[in-house]
Amino acid sequence: MLCRYVLGILLVLAAFPSNGFSAESSVSAADQTCMMCHSQEQDLTFDAGEKVSLKVNTEELGRSVHRIISCSDCHGFTADQHPKRTFKNHRQYTAFSAKVCTQCHVSHKTKIHEKLLSQSPKGTVCSDCHGFHSIQRARELSKGNHYCLNCHQRELSITFKTGEKQSIHINESILNISVHKNLSCTDCHFGFSSEEHPLRIFKSKRDYSIAMSESCRRCHFDKYSRTLEGIHYNLLTHGNLNAPVCTDCHGAHSVYSGRKEKLANAKKCERCHPEVYKVYTQSVHGGALILEHNEDVPICSDCHKAHDMTDPRTTDFRNAVPQMCGNCHADKDLMKKYGLSTAVVDTYLQDFHGVTLKFYKQQGKSVKPIAVCIDCHGIHDITKVNAPNAPMIKANLVKRCQKCHPAATANFPDSWVSHYKPSLKKAPLVYMINFGYKVFIPFMIIGLILQIILHIWRYAVNR
Amino acid sequence: MKKFGDEYIRRFSSARIIEHWLNAIVFAVLVLTGLSQKFHDYSAAQWIVMTLGGIDATRIIHRYTGIIFAGLTIPHILAASFGFLFLKWQPSIIIHKNDFRDAIVNIRYYLGLEEHPARCDRFDYKQKFEYWGVVVGGILMIVTGALLWIPTVAARFLPGEFIPAAKALHTNEALLAFLVIVIWHIYNAVFSPEVFPIDTVMFTGKISKERMIHEHPLEYERLFGVSLKSPEDENAPEERTTT
Repeated sequence: MLCRYVLGILLVLAAFPSNGFSAESSVSAADQTCMMCHSQEQDLTFDAGEKVSLKVNTEELGRSVHRIISCSDCHGFTADQHPKRTFKNHRQYTAFSAKVCTQCHVSHKTKIHEKLLSQSPKGTVCSDCHGFHSIQRARELSKGNHYCLNCHQRELSITFKTGEKQSIHINESILNISVHKNLSCTDCHFGFSSEEHPLRIFKSKRDYSIAMSESCRRCHFDKYSRTLEGIHYNLLTHGNLNAPVCTDCHGAHSVYSGRKEKLANAKKCERCHPEVYKVYTQSVHGGALILEHNEDVPICSDCHKAHDMTDPRTTDFRNAVPQMCGNCHADKDLMKKYGLSTAVVDTYLQDFHGVTLKFYKQQGKSVKPIAVCIDCHGIHDITKVNAPNAPMIKANLVKRCQKCHPAATANFPDSWVSHYKPSLKKAPLVYMINFGYKVFIPFMIIGLILQIILHIWRYAVNR
Repeated sequence: MKKFGDEYIRRFSSARIIEHWLNAIVFAVLVLTGLSQKFHDYSAAQWIVMTLGGIDATRIIHRYTGIIFAGLTIPHILAASFGFLFLKWQPSIIIHKNDFRDAIVNIRYYLGLEEHPARCDRFDYKQKFEYWGVVVGGILMIVTGALLWIPTVAARFLPGEFIPAAKALHTNEALLAFLVIVIWHIYNAVFSPEVFPIDTVMFTGKISKERMIHEHPLEYERLFGVSLKSPEDENAPEERTTT
């Protein structure tokens, strides 16, 4: 054996002095015979017209784990026997050649091998992943993610029970721009490793997505626990499989920070809520976002929240509206930029509706719906108050009042001082009354107290 | 109507006493339920509202108590007007120019610029001030309260701005009335050294002769046909009581 080995080396060195053969490669005498032809550039043309190079890269072969076996061990050809075979195409040839692997590797290391091979020759064959002349031990093929990508960078796909097909080809460049670029595949795809690749069967692509989104909670438990209170999760548990899961909004392999870009975030919602999104784009907020790239404006998640979004049709949601609007509209610095008054929030909260709402919140239940910001200003279609045909114009406003106050007539909207603090210009009557009492009450009370003090003093003196 | 007992003179009939105490209860409920709406930011006010069963319950109590208040005030005004006009009741509660003089005399007296306090009739200027405060303020509260209860109907006949104006009147007048009652009325009826620990007239309906001579000398003179005007006469009964 050793003799043959040494001889082989010598022969190879003698035969291919200029071929860059490394000292450690070994080519047997029989293989030498093969290499005499197969080190030359030559092509084989299949029936389909495909061409394949028949040149064997000896350098690659020398590094392979199979360098100790000879060409004929796999190919079956010897110097004497080199039958002509015809194949339809390259793939047919590959599949045919790969069969030979199972002659030595009789048992499957993992379930996935079994499955992949059971589909041969149509499906994947050994050499697709492991290579042929360059074949190496799996764990040496690559480290880390590259280990997985070794197979998954190939155009593979899986078929679900429903017949849906899903590519399981992973584009490495997408992985590298994601915020998870420093994670390894198995951090999310837990249960998988270089040793284990369990075979899992899902009914549909959607089932798989839903199951996979469970991985996210292992790191993002705070977000996950919030989603449990959210309407999307609720819908999901009630059987609506179209309700979005983590990956539907955040992406899977391309996952990126949700805070980055407001417009992109709003567009995520658009996918399922296109009508609302369309209305939003025409509103003062949406318009500024899209046309002016203004990042100060609220997007969907600012009001509806991102993970624990609740049903906006509930009274609780409605009662939280003044607070939502107040997040921006009570922010003096922010409103100053746009010349807007922050008194809008306080004037509402101090008025009949605002006070009622406050107590309803304290009581924990609303006896009846109370007018909040959106009832006059609109919801997704919020416009500037001075926009043409704005809902706040008296004629439009009275219709809104009538929703709760059916007896309201044209004058009724004037009973609301429109977020202005009463002044001589706005609501002068109210201003005058308040001013009058502001002077009269202290005057009266101080006068009465002085009289009381004088009375006591006189009484004491008289005694 | 007025009987001369040993030491006491009948001043108010039972009907007036009942009317007073009904008014007092109604006023207290209105203040409690009204001011706790006005001062909704304070935790005490919130406690009252929550204890009464929430804002709607508080408003309902306030409004129906307001109806009772109107039911006391309006018949009172009608009865008094009818009495003065047709039954020749003494218009003793009507404000007279002497009341302004009395007030000035009393303040001068307190300051030591006047020898004697003002000589008042059946109702002195302090009592008239409170009475008219309740009547005028009461009418204001009834009218503005009604506007606020049915703003949609009110806005059919009145400019819309009248609704917030009514609220401004209602809420400010309420505070004024509350302060006048707790400071002025409670002082005069409870803490004043002349009546402390409490003025019993509104319980018994009777006033002592000494107090009558001291506080309502003109009425005393008229009732008993005597003159307390001269210094001797005026001092005489007072000496008797103090010794």
